[in-house]
Amino acid sequence: MTAFDIVTSGFLISALRSATPLTFALVGETLTQRTGVINLGLEGQLLVGAMCAYAMTAAWGNPWLGLVAGAIAGMALSAVHAALVVGTRANQFASGLAVWMLGFGLSAYYGSSLVGRKIESFESIVPKSVADLPVLGSVIAGLTPTVVLAVLIVPVSALWLWRTRTGLRWRAVGESPEDARAAGANPSLIRIQAILLGGLLSGLGGAALSVDYTRTWAEGMSAGRGLVAVGLVIVARWNPWWTFPAALLFGGAEALSLRLQTADANVSAHLLHCLPYVASLAILTLTYVRGRVSSAPAGLRAVMDR
Amino acid sequence: MKSAFVSSFAHSAAGRLLLSTAAFITLAAAFFLLIGRSPWEMLSLLAQAAVGDGFALTESLVRATPILLCALATALPARLGLISVGAEGQLYFGALVGTGFVLSATAVAGPLQLPSMLLAGMAGGAAWALVPTLLRTRLQINETISTLLINYVAALLVTWVVYGPWKNPASQGWPATAEFPENARLATYFDSRVHAGLWIGMAIAVVAHMILTRTRWGLGLDVLRSNPRAGVLAGLRFDRHALAVMLLGGALAGLAGIAETSTVQGRLQASFSNGAGFSGFLVAWLARNHCLRIVPMAFLVGALLAAGDGMQMLAQVPSSVTLVAQGLLFVAVLGTNGMLDRGAR
Repeated sequence: MTAFDIVTSGFLISALRSATPLTFALVGETLTQRTGVINLGLEGQLLVGAMCAYAMTAAWGNPWLGLVAGAIAGMALSAVHAALVVGTRANQFASGLAVWMLGFGLSAYYGSSLVGRKIESFESIVPKSVADLPVLGSVIAGLTPTVVLAVLIVPVSALWLWRTRTGLRWRAVGESPEDARAAGANPSLIRIQAILLGGLLSGLGGAALSVDYTRTWAEGMSAGRGLVAVGLVIVARWNPWWTFPAALLFGGAEALSLRLQTADANVSAHLLHCLPYVASLAILTLTYVRGRVSSAPAGLRAVMDR
Repeated sequence: MKSAFVSSFAHSAAGRLLLSTAAFITLAAAFFLLIGRSPWEMLSLLAQAAVGDGFALTESLVRATPILLCALATALPARLGLISVGAEGQLYFGALVGTGFVLSATAVAGPLQLPSMLLAGMAGGAAWALVPTLLRTRLQINETISTLLINYVAALLVTWVVYGPWKNPASQGWPATAEFPENARLATYFDSRVHAGLWIGMAIAVVAHMILTRTRWGLGLDVLRSNPRAGVLAGLRFDRHALAVMLLGGALAGLAGIAETSTVQGRLQASFSNGAGFSGFLVAWLARNHCLRIVPMAFLVGALLAAGDGMQMLAQVPSSVTLVAQGLLFVAVLGTNGMLDRGAR
């Protein structure tokens, strides 16, 4: 297998499918951070989203119901972060980790009966006649509804954030809660909404992960995707438009590590699994080296730089 | 007058502990009701599984040992205002380097083997802390995010050597390295797996407390944390202090990793930590980074987690019920302290 074959034979669609759960989480976290709140609990929200979605799909046989259940579960868990951060002004990093621990525990507890269960999931939305086309077919044959949803959520959230009055108000809260309050907005309420929306989207991401991408449930299956998302928000410079290429970077690294495993048995799979984390950290470092973090919401800098 | 007394008690260390405990028990009771169990029955079974007999008690101490060291590894950087969640990765990398030393430096045998192995583990943990520290001091990259990301890399490196180059072909069951020789194990006590790492950790807690509260260096950390500008004006250098606390913390987490691997497990295995690094983070927050208070808090959390297996037998619930309890404990403590601090503002 040559390098060219590795990249072409379904590589793009694997990268896209791997990037899909991350895209939901990344868009959600970007919107949350735009209001000046960082949520490391994303990792736990992905897990409860994945677990609830999988349980729902296994019970009712309908993956769409699974997506709804996952989104609700993610939002419900993020309410804990909202209560701690906005309600009691707890430290945002510590609160996020508490939410992660809680989500990990809850999903492991309720998910213990789901291990090893099979589900009926989404099928490719590409008709057989198109999938058989020579080059295009191999690129899009594996498209499933969650991939399309992820691709759509990017422009929708970007237009909403940059072009609507509510989007402007959210950004204003992230820059300066005092000025936003003076202009008639309620910063606490907006931050609660932003955390819950981030929770909803990360729950959806978790659902896409278990129901569509891996099609299994395993304890701790998100494997750091939520934490990677928190780092990639910076790489995407808090701009929803840039979340998609940033997520594709992770997806590409993961797809590449899977490709290399099948192509060359001499490289350890475990070593290759490091690739997405190393790539994310490297690109994060590069973002800082090039001084591209000045676009951070001012309210967020106070939290991150201290 | 009376309300002032109540308020000052609530803000004291004992008051915070009492209120946090009450909040935790409320949350845990709500969870037990939710899963259809009697809260009283579950809480008493939990206590029984944690400290009910000699075996439960020693297992709790075994579980508390790496958590104690990892909590100190979190508290040291926190004294400078750094929120490091890297103890988990440092623990793995320390175990990796320490194991590598024992496997390769076979010439170092006899009484020298144990101390040099521990030093190698500490060096490994410190080395793993170096990258996020430099990223923070040179580029202002948030240390919480970088430490969380490289945790996964360290854990995967351990999985790699255990399944690959260092795999013991003779090992049955899960892949693991060769067994550690007798000379490379810490002393154990009470005819159990409780080992010298426990009192080493407690001694380090006392020493760290003295250094942090009684020396000029410890005062420097406080100044740099609470008023960075004043610290710099006084000639203190943030980057040097950051390097010191992060590397020292990394060394402690590395020590936790190699002690657990050599003495409790007897060989290096994949995912051996059981989240000790993250539990250590929770303990440091429970103790508000006070090194002496970390000791009882580490035992509390260690006992809670060690009770998981017992709960499976006693109450027929999955052992992950204690992971939920751990998360609820963190939420209760943050919520209680957040509300008290908010009232103080």
